[in-house]
Amino acid sequence: QEVTLRLSHWVPPSIAPASKGIEPWAQAVQEASDGRIAIQIFPAQQLGKAPDHYDMAAQGIVDLAWVNPGYTAGRFPIYGLTQVPFLVDDSIQGAKAIHAWYMENGAAQEMGDVKVCFFHPHAPGAFHSKVDVTHPDDVRGMNVRPAHQGIARFVSLLGGGAVQVPAPEAREALSKGTAEAVTFPWGAMYDFNLSEEVPVHLDMPFYMSAQLMIMNQGSYDGLSDENKAVIDEHCSPDWSGRVAAGWHEDDMAAKDRLMADEAQSFNEPTEDEIAAWISAAAPLTEEWKAEVAAKGHDAEAILQAYKAALEEYDAAY
Amino acid sequence: MRDAPSPGGPVRRAVQLIERIAGAVLGLVTVLIVASAIGRYGFARPLPDAFDLSRLVLGVAIAWGFASVAWHGTHIKVDLLAQAVRPPARRWINAVAWTVLLIFTALLTWKIWGRVSAALSGGDATMDLRLPHWPFFLAIWLGLVAALFATIARLWRIVVQGADLGEFDGIDAQLLQDQKK
Amino acid sequence: MSNELLAVSGFVALFALMALRVPIGIAMGLVGIGGFGAVIGMGPALNLLAQSPISTITDFNLTLIPFFILMGVLATNSGMSSELFRAGRAWLGGFRGGLGLASVGACGGFAAICGSSVATAATMTKIAYPEMKQAGYSDAASTGIIAAGGTLGILIPPSVVLAIYGFITETDIGQLFIAGVVPGLLAIVMYMLTVRYWYGRQLPAAEPFRLGQALAALKGIWAVGLLFIAVILSIYFGVVTATEAAAVGALLTALIGLIRRRLTLSTLLDSLVEALRTSVSIYVVLIGATLFGYFLAITQVPQEITSFLTTLGAGRYGTLLLILLLFLVMGCFLDAMAMIILMVPIVVPVIEQLGFDPIWFGIIIVMTVELGLITPPVGMNVYVINSIASRVSLTTIFRGVLPFVTVDVLRLILLIAFPALVMALPNSMN
Ligand code: NA
Ligand code: NA
Repeated sequence: QEVTLRLSHWVPPSIAPASKGIEPWAQAVQEASDGRIAIQIFPAQQLGKAPDHYDMAAQGIVDLAWVNPGYTAGRFPIYGLTQVPFLVDDSIQGAKAIHAWYMENGAAQEMGDVKVCFFHPHAPGAFHSKVDVTHPDDVRGMNVRPAHQGIARFVSLLGGGAVQVPAPEAREALSKGTAEAVTFPWGAMYDFNLSEEVPVHLDMPFYMSAQLMIMNQGSYDGLSDENKAVIDEHCSPDWSGRVAAGWHEDDMAAKDRLMADEAQSFNEPTEDEIAAWISAAAPLTEEWKAEVAAKGHDAEAILQAYKAALEEYDAAY
Repeated sequence: MRDAPSPGGPVRRAVQLIERIAGAVLGLVTVLIVASAIGRYGFARPLPDAFDLSRLVLGVAIAWGFASVAWHGTHIKVDLLAQAVRPPARRWINAVAWTVLLIFTALLTWKIWGRVSAALSGGDATMDLRLPHWPFFLAIWLGLVAALFATIARLWRIVVQGADLGEFDGIDAQLLQDQKK
Repeated sequence: MSNELLAVSGFVALFALMALRVPIGIAMGLVGIGGFGAVIGMGPALNLLAQSPISTITDFNLTLIPFFILMGVLATNSGMSSELFRAGRAWLGGFRGGLGLASVGACGGFAAICGSSVATAATMTKIAYPEMKQAGYSDAASTGIIAAGGTLGILIPPSVVLAIYGFITETDIGQLFIAGVVPGLLAIVMYMLTVRYWYGRQLPAAEPFRLGQALAALKGIWAVGLLFIAVILSIYFGVVTATEAAAVGALLTALIGLIRRRLTLSTLLDSLVEALRTSVSIYVVLIGATLFGYFLAITQVPQEITSFLTTLGAGRYGTLLLILLLFLVMGCFLDAMAMIILMVPIVVPVIEQLGFDPIWFGIIIVMTVELGLITPPVGMNVYVINSIASRVSLTTIFRGVLPFVTVDVLRLILLIAFPALVMALPNSMN
């Protein structure tokens, strides 16, 4: 063994993104390096708060960090496009597409001080509520716990209230009526014990949240050439797809389990309703364009590149 | 009792002003959270950014409170040894303790300045209204600068005037004075 | 240096700095940075200071701490504590040792609107000690009663220590508060029995009971009742979150004080300043403990302690006993808050692996650190009383509080044997 890399993330080690994404990836790196690289994983915010994870890797507090750019509003405006709903419909192909797109169109611009490694979305999340919600108008006057800042904007746009509570407190907020609906990946229904509180599900890919793994630039530069090659090999669109697959599988298993449960009801939206959702979300793309343009980037070109990548990988909505 | 009346007059007045402003800010945050709760339950509309604003503004109040605690010496600490030894030795213990506090405060002020400049260029903002973070971070940093001065002033009083540190936390000085008469 | 040796050196350095009166949070922070630096290098370790302290002071989940502290300060400054004592005296003064009973009752009542034990003890020393002294109580008895009664501050909700426990373990703070209600009532009853039957004979005779006076005294404590009900019932029935309940409680206390003309704008501002100072000193401990926690985490020593304790073969209750003994011994020297912040992240994984409920353990651990507040050589409640009633020696107070330490241990055993006493109320919440 030549080098130990410390990897920090902020979810419990038992849940899918950790056990079926991060850990297998770390395992693969260690094996591919013939044991020259050891990866020590620190889960569950042991070394820092979730929103601090980007800076923790950038400043060398850890070597690798699993980041949700949605936790730091305004900091990574280009990446914010991945939060705009109804653009991606598949997370495995989507992860590869985002990887290909962001490395060309955003990584250097807004994450230039770190090495971006892989992208890690969950299966497209859904809208889960206490009462039927099939049309955007149904959200008016409703308090929703949004998954991230993009959905929070969407909820406000639809005339609802966004209730910011940490994920582990979502259940409490729902049982107390503080929130009447949530957007979450399917797996979270069981991870956070929410199925009794919000038994009504809108069965359409509603949004995505793509975490990503980044590496401290110095930690990378300090590796031997053959170790660098191992890391490069594991920081690829292919690996983004592989880590996303583990999480996707878990989400789909949770969805199947919900569908088998008679207490849960699923609403399949009509063509018209889907169209209404998509057009209701249209201003979000415009807002994104304005924000990115204000930072001096060519928003339209970046958007087109995103759509092209999604088409190329067959992940477009 | 904690503060001999005359020396350190300007510093004491400055600390008093600082802590009053910070206290008023604490009151403001209290009202903000109540208003947000009423907004949500009464009108199904939470105040925009109540979450981010209350935590950021409270952070500013806490940072400015550092100066007050450093000046009054009412940090949570173990007084066992200090109270067991004679006054000259206690003066040395107090001086060491507040020197360590000064070092920590200085490191913190230095490092958080880096955070402020990063926020200036980074574009961090609140969730709903997209208010930039940097003014809050700058205010936190200024509170730490005030704490740095307050710590130096207290250290000077310990070394030069032999003043002791405040004893307990959470009891107002007035109450202690009333009782010690 | 091996990671184990590094962690041990860290603890030694921490205790050395603390003995030198370095603020506990600052000592933890510096050792934390230094230890982290020994593992990964000083440059990156210092960068922790750019992230972690700001995250701590701007953490929304901690905002309820200043609010609950503010509520207690406002209650004191608007005279609610003396009203409680007057009411207790009017109702319980008819028994032998009635003033002692009234003091316990008033401590319990005040604990229901104040989140801190030290503040409860300080307030009650000011109000009840002179009365008991005048009535001929021995110094040991009167200060012992107040020192013990003061510990109720962090068991009966609201409680700053329980809030921090909930924050660290990510358990529901509302449920924790509700779980403290029955053990708190039990404590009041057991303390009263101790006053009546342990001290009974040596205490002065009763005052005559007058119904008119007793009823009149009730009129004084409506505000306390209203506040407690507003805060605790709204948490119990889930009308608001614990943070909102804290803010509403503080605002209501201020409004009641202003309406009754017990507070002026100037005393209101003083109360805000006082609450801020207390909050800041708690935040400093939180900042330091977080940094120290990162140091321990990167040495991976907590995981080793966890696996050591679980493979020790002491059994479920044997391991629990070991943990509680550790807290008891540390409680002799360390501040309650600092101990919770430092040790809970290490032991709670063990507790969960052993199949204990973290909410129940929160109550058990708070009762254990409560004991630390009244045991020598470092007992914050005793120190506070000594600083106010300065003619009473520390030894006298420690002697006076001894009977209560005994019944506290008894109560601890009772709640370990019958966890339902703790869990029945919180379990009925949903
Ligand atoms: Na209390
Ligand atoms: Na003790």
